[in-house]
Amino acid sequence: MNKDALRTLLTFISRQQSLSMFFILLIMWIVLAFLSPYFLTINNIFEITLQSAVIALLAAGESFVIFSGGIDLSVGSVFAFSAIVGGLGLVATRSVLFSLLASLGGGLFAGFCNGSAIIKLKIPPFVATLGMMGIARGLALILSRGIPIYGLPREYMWIGQGRVLGIVPVPTIIVLVLFTVMFFVLRNTRFGRFTYALGSNAEATRLSGVKIPPVMLGIYMISGAFAAVAAVIESARLGTMQPASGSGYELLAIGSVFIGGASIYGGEGNIFASLIGALIVTTIRNGLNILGVSAFYQYVVNGLIIIFAVAADQSRRAR
Amino acid sequence: MLSELLYMENICKSFFGVPVLKNVSFRLRHGEVHVLLGENGAGKSTLIKILSGAYTLDSGKIFLEGQEIDTSTYNPETASRMGIATIYQNFHLVPHLTVAENISLSSFPISRMRLINWPAVRAFAEKALQLVQLNVEPNTRVKDLTTSQQQMLEIAMALVQKAKIIIMDEPTAAISRRETETLFQIIRRVRSQGVGIIYISHKLEEIKEIGDTITILRDGEQVGTMPVQDVNMDQVVNLMTGKEIRTEQRHVKRVPGAELFRCEGLSVTGKFSNISFAVRRGEILGLTGLVGAGKTELARAIFGVDRLEKGKIFVNGKLLRHNTPRAMVEEGVGYIPEDRDVSGLCMNRPVRDNITIVSHAKRRGIGLDLRRDTQEARSFVERLQIRTDSLERQVKYLSGGNKQKVILAKWFQAHCQFLILDEPTIGIDVGARQEIYRLIDDFVKDGERGVLFISSDLSEILNVTDRIVVMVRGRITAELEPTGLTKQELMSYCLGLKNGVSHEVPL
Repeated sequence: MNKDALRTLLTFISRQQSLSMFFILLIMWIVLAFLSPYFLTINNIFEITLQSAVIALLAAGESFVIFSGGIDLSVGSVFAFSAIVGGLGLVATRSVLFSLLASLGGGLFAGFCNGSAIIKLKIPPFVATLGMMGIARGLALILSRGIPIYGLPREYMWIGQGRVLGIVPVPTIIVLVLFTVMFFVLRNTRFGRFTYALGSNAEATRLSGVKIPPVMLGIYMISGAFAAVAAVIESARLGTMQPASGSGYELLAIGSVFIGGASIYGGEGNIFASLIGALIVTTIRNGLNILGVSAFYQYVVNGLIIIFAVAADQSRRAR
Repeated sequence: MLSELLYMENICKSFFGVPVLKNVSFRLRHGEVHVLLGENGAGKSTLIKILSGAYTLDSGKIFLEGQEIDTSTYNPETASRMGIATIYQNFHLVPHLTVAENISLSSFPISRMRLINWPAVRAFAEKALQLVQLNVEPNTRVKDLTTSQQQMLEIAMALVQKAKIIIMDEPTAAISRRETETLFQIIRRVRSQGVGIIYISHKLEEIKEIGDTITILRDGEQVGTMPVQDVNMDQVVNLMTGKEIRTEQRHVKRVPGAELFRCEGLSVTGKFSNISFAVRRGEILGLTGLVGAGKTELARAIFGVDRLEKGKIFVNGKLLRHNTPRAMVEEGVGYIPEDRDVSGLCMNRPVRDNITIVSHAKRRGIGLDLRRDTQEARSFVERLQIRTDSLERQVKYLSGGNKQKVILAKWFQAHCQFLILDEPTIGIDVGARQEIYRLIDDFVKDGERGVLFISSDLSEILNVTDRIVVMVRGRITAELEPTGLTKQELMSYCLGLKNGVSHEVPL
């Protein structure tokens, strides 16, 4: 990492919403530690990083889409679809590598279809990905005949359950590595630059000579790929691939990105801020669990989070 | 019959300290068609907007039928209640509702059951349509009407709401000659009922045909009011443009080089037809004409923003098969749109990203050299004297002039050869304007690059360009040499009173 990058990282940390969100996260942890003796245990802290890994990865892909001024409602369904595709690959070949590639391929393919529909059929991202939300869920159920896939080999499970040096969970490492890579993709590549430009003003970007279609395809394929990686981690953690998994995850992913301070109009946002957003979302869920609040309330809380995160963004904008 | 209907006395209005109307007085009598004339920015629309309640005046009085209006509480609703109606281009119509629904929209007749009384709605619509002899079925959706029918419908709506004053802003801009005849018949009928009409148009022959009185505004001042029959056209042009002596700002006469850009027979139905011209290296070609002449539409079609129906475009002698913005950028063509805030800038991106976007679009490869980006952006910020506290500042925080300089910088930075500038100084203060002229001048100075400079500001066209083509209603009607040309002469070309080639034009 060069000096410039470090400085950008520091300026990002010192910026308005990201920083305040980071403090909110710390305050939440402190409050929960007082409320429950179970919260600040090593086990539970790792539980949060593990749980947040899945949401964080979905949020990473969603970040690209939201920074580009779009929205991807299909990530929860694509999550299940790529899990099942990988599961079937595993059943057919018994090869973990093949299964991982199959999952990734499934995610990329779904993203490719989203992007193509937006470009070729000229439909808004909201509609294209709403359609994909149904299609991918349906395909997951059809391909698996509605039956979960069990019996994952130990090497596969290591991705979700393994610990490096006996302490750090593998998913946590995957999250940190991928977020760092994507941070540089957004900052140091033409593609990243165009992603923000597209979100800021698509017409001005087109009139500057940028080829929009490949950028758009790339954005939605990244979102699909991250849904696949998230699916692999959850499958490996639970030791099973479920066609009904990931439902409602789009809400959490989108919520994380907005909590991170991304603009709903696109063109602004930082991927590490989305990571903090994912940690906040997971902490709230985890905290509610520990406090014994019914899981049903968690949906309500997630919904409220999105609304208030965007409301905060709007009031910041109005100033 | 011709008693006083409206008197606006010593109206003053300024925006951000810039006076737009200076002590303008305007009188409208019952049954009079009063024409407002003036260049762009002369203050016509400001005056109209004050009357219709959209703007509040700074000082002055408004009397309606002798009664002074309380201007402190005056707004669009009170204006329409007092009987002042403005006919915009289908501005007041809801396209997906029917004619009858539109007519009754402000107050639907209610039946005894507290429901909408549809037979009454229909009857009311028929009565209204009768007033303008518009022969359409009341159940037609407004979007299925022609522009002219929509206009008639608006007039009908104004009449059923008992309008005393109808304001028409360029009502014939988008309708055919025959429809214009119909419109004039209606206007004459409405006039005979004692309604006063304020009519804005640039088409001088129409003004003679329909107008009773004419008031000319120039730079926010009322420079003349006279009966139409006393008017001669040269006098009108002189009043509109003023007697100012042109100051020659250009010191060096540029000698243009080889041909850089050429277009032949460009046409888009209803917008412009058979447009051909060429721009040479080291040359600034001016393209002027009144608002609505088709200049912006032409620029957009050349750059590939909108589809071109017919015609050929050559850059550096090479015929372009598909003129998409992408292809144009690759050929070294740049475009600064008229609505630069809407389609010229990524507002919430940093100055740096906006300046370097075109060169990144043209480049291949994956990575960005951020340090080079910053250096490039900084050198252009310094060269163009863009006032920003940081390269990271989002463009939306810059002033109008500085935003425009950022757009210029992005094309300069990408080594653009040919720049199409559409109204590059609109909404920009005088100081920044001079800087932009200087930058454009520097751009062509070394004889390598060329500019198509589109503007309806005649002084600017005369001062900045090397050669002028004039567009009138979608066609090029004249090609002129700016040296020795007066603003009055140029205005008569724009108004369509003259056409052809004024001087020897070498090409």
